[in-house]
Amino acid sequence: MSASPRRLASQAILYLLALLLAVFILAPFAWVLSASLQPEHAIFKQPPDWIPQPASLDNYVYVFTGKIPSRSDLSSGLTAGITGDAIFIPSGLRNSIAVAMVVMALNLVFGTTAAYTFARERFRGRAVAFNFILGSRLLPAMAVAIPIYTILRVTGLLDTRIGLILVHGAFTLPFSIWVLTLYFRSLPREIEEAALVDGCDRLAALRYVVVPIAAPGLAAVAAFSFLFSYDEFLFAQLSLSSIELKTVPVVLAAIAVNPDATYTLIAVGVVLAVIAPILLALLLRRYLVSGLVASLEK
Amino acid sequence: MGLRPWLVLLPPLLLVGLFSVYPFAFAVYASTRRWLLTRPDTPFVGLGNYLAVLGSEQIRASALTSVTFVALTVPPIMLLGFGAALLLNQPLRGMGLLRAIILLPWAIPLVAAGVIWRLLVHGNFGALNGLLLQLGLIDSYIPWLSNPSLALIAVAIAQVWREFPLATILLLAGLQTIPAELHEAARIDGAGAVARLRHVTLPLLRPSILVVLVYESMTAVVVFDLVYVLTGGGPGSATTLFSWYAYAASFKFLNLGQGAALSLLMALALLLLIVLYLRVLPSEEVE
Repeated sequence: MSASPRRLASQAILYLLALLLAVFILAPFAWVLSASLQPEHAIFKQPPDWIPQPASLDNYVYVFTGKIPSRSDLSSGLTAGITGDAIFIPSGLRNSIAVAMVVMALNLVFGTTAAYTFARERFRGRAVAFNFILGSRLLPAMAVAIPIYTILRVTGLLDTRIGLILVHGAFTLPFSIWVLTLYFRSLPREIEEAALVDGCDRLAALRYVVVPIAAPGLAAVAAFSFLFSYDEFLFAQLSLSSIELKTVPVVLAAIAVNPDATYTLIAVGVVLAVIAPILLALLLRRYLVSGLVASLEK
Repeated sequence: MGLRPWLVLLPPLLLVGLFSVYPFAFAVYASTRRWLLTRPDTPFVGLGNYLAVLGSEQIRASALTSVTFVALTVPPIMLLGFGAALLLNQPLRGMGLLRAIILLPWAIPLVAAGVIWRLLVHGNFGALNGLLLQLGLIDSYIPWLSNPSLALIAVAIAQVWREFPLATILLLAGLQTIPAELHEAARIDGAGAVARLRHVTLPLLRPSILVVLVYESMTAVVVFDLVYVLTGGGPGSATTLFSWYAYAASFKFLNLGQGAALSLLMALALLLLIVLYLRVLPSEEVE
């Protein structure tokens, strides 16, 4: 194909648009990263330094060790103190990741077995059970927040990781079962039937034959359930009251809405909080996209 | 056969049932009682809570704010999502990079997205103010979040930034199912780019557009985390959306009866939204 001037011009426009889009997506992240590397007084310059001069990890050191940044902003009188709750960000990250990993495992185990049952077994009440599980997601979280709080309190699971894990499990399983059922239905039956003829029972066929083929679907479910749990705020906020159990969205929201907050420390919190989901989104993008498309288009 | 499928399904059914059937029943029950956490008794009031809620000036204001919020966010999400999907569908080198980063605003916690925008639009140092000042568009910093008419727009911008990637991904998937031959045939028949967009792309993309419209409208109705970290419903009641009001009724004013009635009304509104779109949209766009 010859590169006519017209064609070149239209390509240039497309690249320009692509650049604008990339800036719109990334600039907010870049600014927060830049702010996290600056001392507090520097970000109050009008206009601010877009690139830290010089960049310093003092804010990160404070968040992880409690060591107050050396170029103290206290003397400049900009803030009355330093946001002490920022030191709970690392434990928030650990809690979030731990809870999200268990929620992910729950989804992989119970999502897979339930979806496989729905896709392959014939039994009375199958459609009812399936629609019941899917229908449960029609209730907005806000509508069930108080009764769920009550359940957790009565069962002694309030302010425990297990309580939050169970709630997240109940909110993610319908989606996982839905996606995996569609996925299993699209796989050819013959493969497992060969395994069944060879003397495998259903569970063995699932374990050794179906799961390896269904790996992309499982990757999607793993990514979704992890992200849901890691991102979830309302129930984490309502159910966790001990500071050492709080997940990262709860810690972040608490320091962000404090009117006397240290903004550069909030920026550190954001940077640390988005690392795990960003890595996951980049690594499992293909599966996330196919899962999204499959579930919403059906 | 027989019992075995049920044994396998038992754990998920129990878990999902526990956290949906009882809560739903409880919400219905609570919505028929005058239930204030500050009072010991919970007398039956029938539809009293619903009537009180529907007759309340504040609720009407919050419902209107929610409608405004949907109008402020869904069209930009659709347009930006569609534009980005068309762009990403171009066979150009380097587009893979854009496809990789486009999911990022959607993947991070909503709270983090809200906090990012809280820092961006802050009145004393926000990057948005700094940028506008450097470009000479403003003379002094604007306190976005404490200005009643700007606060809702700031929340809307954060919502659009967060949600348009999802629209892009779904619409892009829809675009990729349109056979290239159709565009080729239309081109041979003399259709320009705009005509092809109107007569080939849009009609074939209708199912995807419908899904995204419904999904994004619902997301705008239930939005909570963003309001929590950006404005807390304020200043005044400028960003008190319906969902925020339902939250405040239960958790701030401790009025469980009205909170339950509001939440159930919200669930009803979501269902109506789905039905409305499914009925209204096809007749408009098929031609």
